[in-house]
Amino acid sequence: MNNILGIVLRSGVVLSGVTITIGTILFIANHSLDDTSAYLAYNPGLIPHGNFPVSLASIISGLLSLDPSSIIQLGLLILLATPVARVALSLFLFAAEKDRMFVYLTAAVLAILLFSMLVTPLIPLFNG
Amino acid sequence: MIVIEFFLTLFIASIAAGVLGSIVGIGGGLIVIPILTLFLGVDIHYAIGASIVSIIATSSGAAATYVKDRITNLRIGMFLETGTTTGAIIGAAIAAYLNATILETIFGTILIISLVPLIRKIGEEYPPRQELKGLAKKLNLRGNYTERDGRKIKYDATNPGKGLAGMLVAGLISGLLGIGSGTFKVLSMDLAMKLPMKVSTTTSNFMIGVTAAASAGIYFARGDVNPLITAPVALGILIGASLGARVLVNAKNTAVRKIFALVLAASAIEMIIRALGF
Repeated sequence: MNNILGIVLRSGVVLSGVTITIGTILFIANHSLDDTSAYLAYNPGLIPHGNFPVSLASIISGLLSLDPSSIIQLGLLILLATPVARVALSLFLFAAEKDRMFVYLTAAVLAILLFSMLVTPLIPLFNG
Repeated sequence: MIVIEFFLTLFIASIAAGVLGSIVGIGGGLIVIPILTLFLGVDIHYAIGASIVSIIATSSGAAATYVKDRITNLRIGMFLETGTTTGAIIGAAIAAYLNATILETIFGTILIISLVPLIRKIGEEYPPRQELKGLAKKLNLRGNYTERDGRKIKYDATNPGKGLAGMLVAGLISGLLGIGSGTFKVLSMDLAMKLPMKVSTTTSNFMIGVTAAASAGIYFARGDVNPLITAPVALGILIGASLGARVLVNAKNTAVRKIFALVLAASAIEMIIRALGF
């Protein structure tokens, strides 16, 4: 089980690293001599604050046209999912050991994690 | 600055941040944030967004090695993680109502004060064996790992309540300031729970990834995670963290604690300088 955890973590990291690398190479191939200022503009009044995709729909449509930013965002999303996968797999690990107390503790951590990843971005209180 | 120069600068700095972070159990923010804001002129919001990703990259990049070597204590990490994630949500919710400058001053001061007990045990390779009792016994917060020379090191946790309280504060600080607060997590495990230093830093390495993931959704949705800034950071950190993890498993606990003390001092100074507005 510990080995499965290692394999999942390693594949998540490699997949994410490869995806980000592809996006980066595609971007550099066309823009290596551009000035960075255009890409670094931060607009406090707008959501999203920059000129790049953040919603799943815009990332997917960007992927279809091989947009480098969308490919990088996909790679970053895979990376952000690795700790969640780790906690979720630990739940099975403790269940397999019949360690009830730790199944509850891990389920609580997973619930808080999913709540704050998926629900809090929708609540204005957290978006100040 | 042109794109290729920007990418290479960030990539190389991030490799260094990944090596250091994976050894001492912190995210890469300590190095990544000042490089971005001071040297590359990036907006602080993007710098914090990149820092959140760098924490997860440090954690997951080193994790494969630490899981294989069974040095991370998953039980202790998961128990303490209930405190950090709860603290992080509360911190993110009340961040708008609190003054970041005062918080950074307080936190920086706490870090400097904690150097005293840390230096007092700077030469301690293994904590003395202690009796497992109370909550630590109920939750079986003990463990063992094998050093590279084949010796099996057994250890027991003390003061789980104090450790958990420390983690709630660490989580609050993460949510409030958008930092990983790995330093505070390592301190709680080293000083309150008296774990071997390598167990403290690798367990913190597990925890910072989970805590950062909890707030990553908010930063990503807001558009604070700029792909062209974050890509070289994530790639550099992933490479650096997998190198650093290999260094850690062969290192002595005393060496790790010495490096940690230096990082702690640097991190406290950086925080106070930021609070003073330089």
